Amino acid sequence: MSVLLDVRDLTVRFGLPKPSIFAPRPYLEAVRQVSFTLHAGRALGIVGESGSGKTTAAMAAIRLVAASSGQVLFQGEDLLGLSETEMRARRRDVQLIFQDPYSSLNPRARVADIVREPMDLMGIGTPDERHARVEELFKLVGLRPDQLNLFPHQFSGGQRQRISIARALTTNPRLLVCDEPVSALDVAIQAQILNLLAKLKTELGLSYLFISHDLGVVRHVCDDVAVMYLGKIVEIGDRTQLFDAPQHPYTQALLAAAPSLARRKSRGYVRPLKISGDPPSPINPPKGCAFADRCPKAQQICRSTQPSLAGGAGHQVACHFPGPATEGTAAQI
Amino acid sequence: MSALLQIENLQVTFNTRHGQVTALDSVSLSVNAGETLGVVGESGCGKSITALSVMGLIPMPPGRIAGGSIKLNGEELVGASDARLRGLRGSEVAMIFQEPMTSLNPVFSIGDQIAEAIMLHQNVSYDQAFKDAVALLDRVGIPSPDRRARDYPHQLSGGMRQRVMIAMAVSCRPKVLIADEPTTALDVTVQAQIFDLLNEIQRDFGAAIMLITHDMGAISEMADRVAVMYAGRVIEEASADQVLDTPQHPYARGLIDCIPALGKQETELREIPGVVPPLHMLGQGCAFKARCAHARPRCGTEKPLLRSHGAHPVACHGAEEGWL
Repeated sequence: MSVLLDVRDLTVRFGLPKPSIFAPRPYLEAVRQVSFTLHAGRALGIVGESGSGKTTAAMAAIRLVAASSGQVLFQGEDLLGLSETEMRARRRDVQLIFQDPYSSLNPRARVADIVREPMDLMGIGTPDERHARVEELFKLVGLRPDQLNLFPHQFSGGQRQRISIARALTTNPRLLVCDEPVSALDVAIQAQILNLLAKLKTELGLSYLFISHDLGVVRHVCDDVAVMYLGKIVEIGDRTQLFDAPQHPYTQALLAAAPSLARRKSRGYVRPLKISGDPPSPINPPKGCAFADRCPKAQQICRSTQPSLAGGAGHQVACHFPGPATEGTAAQI
Repeated sequence: MSALLQIENLQVTFNTRHGQVTALDSVSLSVNAGETLGVVGESGCGKSITALSVMGLIPMPPGRIAGGSIKLNGEELVGASDARLRGLRGSEVAMIFQEPMTSLNPVFSIGDQIAEAIMLHQNVSYDQAFKDAVALLDRVGIPSPDRRARDYPHQLSGGMRQRVMIAMAVSCRPKVLIADEPTTALDVTVQAQIFDLLNEIQRDFGAAIMLITHDMGAISEMADRVAVMYAGRVIEEASADQVLDTPQHPYARGLIDCIPALGKQETELREIPGVVPPLHMLGQGCAFKARCAHARPRCGTEKPLLRSHGAHPVACHGAEEGWL
């Protein structure tokens, strides 16, 4: 199994306004020393609350956001060291699907033109070949060729997301970055898109970097999962281990919070592990573990020393007191 | 026991450029005190229109309540005067909207906005109303409420804003609380907090809650009873356990099956093909026929009615004749 994307110690820092002209510029670290590996043909899910840095980490990995430090090895080559022109050539291999299928398609362009545009820009094929490719992709994602000349507003949300997927596939990418691809869709339509993504992954041998806050969706699509909190990965591992035996209290809390058909009001369920409040501000992150203030297990050391990722190759956790949830959280999910 | 909120055969139509469409077609629902009714379905099924009808907030024109009745505590709301509806709204029936940022006024502090709601319905001074607002913010779990009451909506996180909306909605202790997708814009951890808060408030105030959602997971955690809506009609209604454990209508089954479950690993999700048809293209027969794997000729000609066939009420020929 070959490594497609190897991200090492990726850090993204955004400058903030200076408090006064002589003061040093304060920084916000949106992504802090994030490392992960994505193997060819696999899907890595990044989960976390809004503001956890999951989108910024993925965007920095494909150079849509400038990284401050770290390395991004794509098929063995460090993307962060490339010039703009060199990077442009690599973009064929990496494409994106966005969250909102309404704002990510040009309302004034016909969908055939929208899907063809990446090939036009990269000079792929002759006009006839491009047209044939658009038709082929339309069928592949489950749209009809007679819909090619319609405008985006004539499609439903799920169909628009299919168009976005077709557009992303035109350049034959190796890696698709999916940023919350189904969170704007109705549940019944979500299933259609998730099945399509699963089919494409097997048929075309694609790899996904899949950003989502919905754990059920991530479990369904991804082979490996990274949980982010305040810019850092707090737990990463194979999906079965991560979902069935989560070690970090934050992962356990996320799993306990996700709505589940197994928890019934009629049976008087009590949420096993609750966390209150919001994550701390990334402008002034706490000295110790970022989750300490919301964590039921927090001790003195958690507030003074940052835990680092540790564990075997298949499952790593950044916590001073890792282990199964105290009140049988995992068992109840 | 008579229901606190009783909707019977509600018929709502809209004039559109495609002609007149029926947004709600003989919808009957009831909610008892202290009970949570979950209303579930995809976008365009009429869930929100049902809520807006109860609040007297259907834009007229183009909308029109063409028939039926909405009774709150025995009082008829259809045809009630605007002044009467204004008096009821906020004090007897209150609503929590989907997007807290667009529902709050950005240029007033949150304490002022809650105080305004209190002063509209209770004969109290501003100072007293503001004090009540602070107490409510404390009740819904906002830290340092006396300082936070002077904050503006943009200074709060999404979860905090939804708490403010809830504080405002319960400020006059309404008998009926309508929550229209109250957690759609929020993270799962915050969603869990809001659900727990709604349940606590229901225990404290004994309010009847109508929870509108498209998520069967939310129904499972929150609802006592469930009404499944499709294309403006209620197609199945029963206790949450009955609907979740033994759904009768193929659409209700589909909504349950298409959720990617946390606890298990399936290879392929069962999907409901297609989309909800536009209301002006419903045609004859069952509105779900084009997406239904079990459809037979009768489904194309005759509209199924909500009836009990042994189990609980369902509007499906297949369930009636046992061919599912």
